[in-house]
Amino acid sequence: MTATDVRPDPDGPETPTNRPPSMHRVKNWIRRPYARGIMVLTVVIGFLLLPLCWLILAAMNQTGAPASPIMRDIEQTVFVFTLVSIPISAFVFAVLVYSLLGWKHVKGDQVPKDESPAIRSNTIGVVLWTVVSSALAFFLVVWGLIELAQITANSYGTIPADEQPADSQALIVNVTGQQWVWTFEYPQYDKITSETLYLEKDRPVYFNVTSKDVIHNFWAVELGVKIDANPGAITQTGVTPDKAGTFNVRCAELCGLHHAYMETQIQVLDKGSFNSWTREMGGGKTS
Amino acid sequence: MKRVLVTLLTVVAGVAVVAGIAIYSSVAQAEPPALKAEVAGTLDTPQGTLPHATLQLAVYPNSSDKVPPPATPKSPLGQDWLSGQPFYHPTTTIQVPANSAVTLTFIQYDTGGQIYNPFFAKVHGTMDGTMTWNGNSVTEVKTDNIGHTFTVHQYPEATQPDFFLSVPLPMNKANAKTDKAGYPVDPQKIEVTFVTGDPGTYVWNCEFPCGDMYQEFGGPMQQRGWMAGTFEVVG
Amino acid sequence: MSATATAFGAQVPQPVQHGKPGGIMRRLNFGTGLIGGLGLAAIAAVVTNAFIPSGAASSVNYAPIAPQLVYLAALLGWVIGFMAGMGAFIGPIRWLMGRDLTHADAEYLAGKDLGKARYWKFTTDHKVVGIQYLIMVMIILGFGGLLAMLIRTELGVTWAEVFTPSFYNSIIGTHGIAMIIGMIIVVMGPIANFIMPIMIGARDMAFPRLNALSLWLLVAAVPCLISSLFLGGIQDGWSVYQPLAAQGPPGMLGYQMTIIVFAISTGVASVNVMTTILTMRAKGMTWSRTPILVFGVFAAALMGLYAFPFYQYSQILALSDRIFSTSFFKPLEGGSVWLYENLFWLLGHPEVYVILIPSTALMLELLPVFYRKPLFSFNFAVAGIVGVVALSGLVWAHHMYMTGWAPAVNYPFMLSTEMISIPVGFLVLVVLGTMWRGVVWTRLPIMAVYAVIFNKMIGGVTGIYLSDVPADQYFHGSMFVVAHFHFMLMGVGLFGAMGGIAFYFPKMTGRMLNERSGSIGLWTAFVGFQITFISMFVAGLQGQPRRVLQFDDLFNISNWISTIGAYTIGVGMLIFLGAIISSWKYGDIAPSNPWGSKSLEWQTPTPVPLDNFAVLPVVTERPYNYGVPDPYEKEMREHDGDLTTKVGAK
Repeated sequence: MTATDVRPDPDGPETPTNRPPSMHRVKNWIRRPYARGIMVLTVVIGFLLLPLCWLILAAMNQTGAPASPIMRDIEQTVFVFTLVSIPISAFVFAVLVYSLLGWKHVKGDQVPKDESPAIRSNTIGVVLWTVVSSALAFFLVVWGLIELAQITANSYGTIPADEQPADSQALIVNVTGQQWVWTFEYPQYDKITSETLYLEKDRPVYFNVTSKDVIHNFWAVELGVKIDANPGAITQTGVTPDKAGTFNVRCAELCGLHHAYMETQIQVLDKGSFNSWTREMGGGKTS
Repeated sequence: MKRVLVTLLTVVAGVAVVAGIAIYSSVAQAEPPALKAEVAGTLDTPQGTLPHATLQLAVYPNSSDKVPPPATPKSPLGQDWLSGQPFYHPTTTIQVPANSAVTLTFIQYDTGGQIYNPFFAKVHGTMDGTMTWNGNSVTEVKTDNIGHTFTVHQYPEATQPDFFLSVPLPMNKANAKTDKAGYPVDPQKIEVTFVTGDPGTYVWNCEFPCGDMYQEFGGPMQQRGWMAGTFEVVG
Repeated sequence: MSATATAFGAQVPQPVQHGKPGGIMRRLNFGTGLIGGLGLAAIAAVVTNAFIPSGAASSVNYAPIAPQLVYLAALLGWVIGFMAGMGAFIGPIRWLMGRDLTHADAEYLAGKDLGKARYWKFTTDHKVVGIQYLIMVMIILGFGGLLAMLIRTELGVTWAEVFTPSFYNSIIGTHGIAMIIGMIIVVMGPIANFIMPIMIGARDMAFPRLNALSLWLLVAAVPCLISSLFLGGIQDGWSVYQPLAAQGPPGMLGYQMTIIVFAISTGVASVNVMTTILTMRAKGMTWSRTPILVFGVFAAALMGLYAFPFYQYSQILALSDRIFSTSFFKPLEGGSVWLYENLFWLLGHPEVYVILIPSTALMLELLPVFYRKPLFSFNFAVAGIVGVVALSGLVWAHHMYMTGWAPAVNYPFMLSTEMISIPVGFLVLVVLGTMWRGVVWTRLPIMAVYAVIFNKMIGGVTGIYLSDVPADQYFHGSMFVVAHFHFMLMGVGLFGAMGGIAFYFPKMTGRMLNERSGSIGLWTAFVGFQITFISMFVAGLQGQPRRVLQFDDLFNISNWISTIGAYTIGVGMLIFLGAIISSWKYGDIAPSNPWGSKSLEWQTPTPVPLDNFAVLPVVTERPYNYGVPDPYEKEMREHDGDLTTKVGAK
């Protein structure tokens, strides 16, 4: 019989207990003042950071976003990612704060004598951190992969627009970026062209995006759509706008002198207004 | 004490250097002086009777003794890479009055060819969708007969009115009769009339590949003062 | 007079000393380098100009070829002439001639008894090279900072254009590349050169002449970049995407030449650093006894070695597209823009880890000294660094999520990018674990660690948003990305380097960096940094694209705030620079080990003698032997009999 067989009860000999030894370790660790201090700080900082989840969305929604399911997905992702990042960030900030305010500090020019505990490792801490950070990363990856599949399904990123499943409702717009103006062509409507993007509410639209010269980037801001406009290639994306209004297209890839001015507007109209616009531009529907 | 002085001196010297370079760079690249449209009389428009302003611009294929080139960036050894390129004359900073009817006249001396994007072969943004070309009223020019365009487009300010104007300027034939300076004696003359709204600042540039380098959109097309500029609607 | 030396009982013939030690190197220095460089540049320009055909053949794609070819010839002439004038080729020439360096020559080259003049020559002593790198870094970062102030002025003046768009596009690109170059060498230059060999107990680096070569190649590259501003600038971002760069003015050749030369410089330096660390560690310094900074420096050198050739290659091909009318990157003539993007980002991503890892390893090196306790979980720190290196080459296409290149490939790249947050997290854990229950000695170097970890969390979390493809669909190409990478490269990289420079200042210059002015500078810059870039996150969230000089009124407020913050950073950095300059001249003389560090480099006297150590040290214990036994450990032993905390175990 060795000393390790006998486990004295931390509650005292009067109250026997069935609690396993590991619970003693946790209980003793929590008793330490810094443990409680850091946990409290983590929770406090976490709550202070919590409003960020909503503030970030408020900043994104200042011009009418979200105006499509894709943008709503994106905002939900940002919300969840912020929420999920708060615990670890709060913990890190708490340790930073506590190390300055909670544990002792020494000033002056003299090299201080060694007072800190020489801890070279702590298995529980390392394992806990690895497991938690890996679990979080895994969660983010799985969330992101599922969402990417959903958004791709919504925008048919890899299938050319004219090979889409039979969906006679879909609107096709050929987007041409050229230094430094966006032009849009509607092949289904007698190829009418416009420098403002007109879309129909609740009708899926597929964009065939290309460039005549250098790389541009077609960014329909409030719709959450973005794809490079490459010369010599056609890239595709799509979205279904579900909110009427005026939104912005900006160029998001430096393309030369007037890159900053390469902006235009999106007008999302209801069905009647959209049809009268196409008629006004001289486009009878041809397909 | 010396340490504090040296530190302060570093800060002051640093700020002075930055400020000096900023001011010098800003002044050295000031936009060319503005060309203001002249207001004379009124014009009946669908939006009512508005004051009428006129302005004339010329497009030259290259500079000559008769027509000096715009201020051109030069290397320290004096070489420049833009002389011999086409440019708008006399300036690229255009000022027109707000809430008026404006008539722009272009005298186009350059040759041309095929435009990349047929959108810019059409007239956009004028009062009745037409332009007057050598006396005839047209809505578009053939895509292989274009010399330059004058395309005014959006400034990224949501608070100013939307404005888009694009005028294709037809080319002169390559075998046209030229004068001593090499410009055609009978250049293309284009006139457009449009209505301006509330004041705002816009930019304009040519959308025909008349520059050099890749896709002929380099050189003068990327340089204010040559084939790109600002278009101000002033109140 | 011939000489032989005795090695292991054999007579080993030595090279014959012809003339004075150093030979022609006695006459070569920075001045002759300038003469050689400017002279050869002028000759090359004139000769090229004379040979340029006139008429139709004088233009390529309608652009006059003369300014481009003359400029290219001048750049090549400058680089070759400068290196020749510095004497970079003397060593190889002598070796080819069979007149290799004698010991006296080598000592001359190392700067023995040359005084201050050795800083102006092709000196091989790693300590001299380290100081030269420090000066170059301050010049390059100063240049980049100047451009940053111009950029923020333009963005702050929202009611007018202060500069023309072409100048603005040029200065953002030049600011980018200057800062990237500066940040790559800010730790690898001064610290990896000066400190690392002493830290591993060596006398110099493995290839001292290559060491000098890598520095002077950098010096040759910088004027190429600055000259580009006088030839129209580069009018593109620092990534100089083709084909926009193919439309640029002749200044683009200056950029391409800068990168081609700089890539040679870093390749040479990487090989040098890696060989030194692999082969020249002191006797007894096994890998588990090697300080963590050495691991960080090695990792950065390795990543730089495999990644920089991609960048160099992309610029060589781009140069060929310009001058020889090839069409590697011209899609309408058979090329591919995606080829350029891939080549660029194959460097572009590992390169940020080349910046981050040495800075983080430097912070890890500081922690034990100022907390007087061992580095927490040394193995975990190494695992973190190795994990980052392993994954760094597998994530590049997350910069290309929105290019439409290969949408199916977005999935695995999203996976690898999110995974890389795990090894980076290991490094954060090591920092926290070292801070844990430590008594902190609040000096300037350690205060930088707080700034770094704060910035690292913000930068890391925002990186998670960007790594997610759907979220990137909003954020790509917006100011959100700009704020994120500034938090990582500047918030972690630069502030970490500032702490490291404050730490090693006494060993490198013999004086203490004044704490008061250094701290005021650092914290002013830190406060300004938060104001600038958090406001920039807001602008990005609102939808401001990047690289624009005019924008909607919606973004005005965030930009005004960012500009005020940027000016604050400028003032703070100038104060820090002033602290460096004034302390270098008038600072308190430093003792040889002001921080009480147990690391090898602090066991040498200051100034460090030419040979570093009179007798090469033998290492017998683990690093970071600080601290006292953990008082809680006795309690835990009593309570449950098995240890979970190991202290001092072998």
